[in-house]
Amino acid sequence: MGAVASTQDELYQDAASLYGAALERLARAYEADPEIRRDLLQDIHIALWRSFEGFDGRCSLRTWIYRVGHNVAASHVLRQRRTRSQALVGLEELENLPDANSGQQVADRSHALNRLLSLIQRLKPLDRHVILAYLEGLDAASIAETSGLSAGNIATKIYRIKNMLVRQFQQGGPDHE
Amino acid sequence: MNELENPVQKMWQDQPVEGIRMSAEMIHKRAAKFERRIMWRNVREYVASLIATVLFGYFLVTARDVLSRVTFGLFIAAMVWIVFQLHRKGSAKRMPLGVDTLTSLRFYRAELERQRAAVANVWSWYLAPMVPGFVVYTVGFAIRFPRPAAWAGLVLMDGMVTVMFFVIWKMNVRAARCLQRMIDELNAAE
Repeated sequence: MGAVASTQDELYQDAASLYGAALERLARAYEADPEIRRDLLQDIHIALWRSFEGFDGRCSLRTWIYRVGHNVAASHVLRQRRTRSQALVGLEELENLPDANSGQQVADRSHALNRLLSLIQRLKPLDRHVILAYLEGLDAASIAETSGLSAGNIATKIYRIKNMLVRQFQQGGPDHE
Repeated sequence: MNELENPVQKMWQDQPVEGIRMSAEMIHKRAAKFERRIMWRNVREYVASLIATVLFGYFLVTARDVLSRVTFGLFIAAMVWIVFQLHRKGSAKRMPLGVDTLTSLRFYRAELERQRAAVANVWSWYLAPMVPGFVVYTVGFAIRFPRPAAWAGLVLMDGMVTVMFFVIWKMNVRAARCLQRMIDELNAAE
């Protein structure tokens, strides 16, 4: 029992050191309110610690951490839907948004980041999962493993994400400062 | 990880973070609080039925006539049945944490569907089992007190019980509609 608890603590410490920043970015993408976001992040950390009791190493530590993080955050979004009325949209709807840069250039990195966050926060949980995993640099196979979607589905979604990001950010966006 | 092919990925990963960490002690404390919350929720589900069963048990033992004993026996049987059904239909299952997001969303939807089915059919498993006890009680009371005034009181009491059953049923129908809306939103969100 003591050894299990120790392994659980050690796994959690490793996870928090390696992926703490990624989990913070994940929480930011799922909750706009800073106070509630702090609670969400704590919930993710506690869920992660609890989950390591049942971690059997059949998937990588990174896959496990992203799964737990997204599951807690997606549950949070679904619970919050009872009190928030804004409809969640799919990637295809974001892809068809008018170009942000056609009228007004994205002024600076902070502005661009806020705009990116507001786009992500409108997405349905699965699409939000895919775009976040893509932004974190996960490859298609890893995204499929963490989201449960098929490889073909992921490829289509990544294609849409790239199109949307180009249209919204890269015509005078953050790389054109 | 992939080579970062898109400058937006770099922008995303380079954003400043607060570096929030939780100590092992804090984690253990919060996890214990969570477990206690779950335990008390489960205890609350059963304690009211347990109190009622003990009370009816006392009435059963101290009752002087057969019809009263049958009445309280039926109430106890109904309570046991309701607690069993509460456990079977109503207990919240914990979401498995390490599964992929699609599986977790499907689990969440299945839980909502299970809860909706339980509250939508509350008549059959929560209210109907109490009816035989009330019927036998009414008959027994009417036999023991064959006076119009007593019968009027009995009609009033049965009327109140009927209204209470109706209110419970309506509240559960409303809860089922609310759960259905959540299921529809979840379907749209998948």
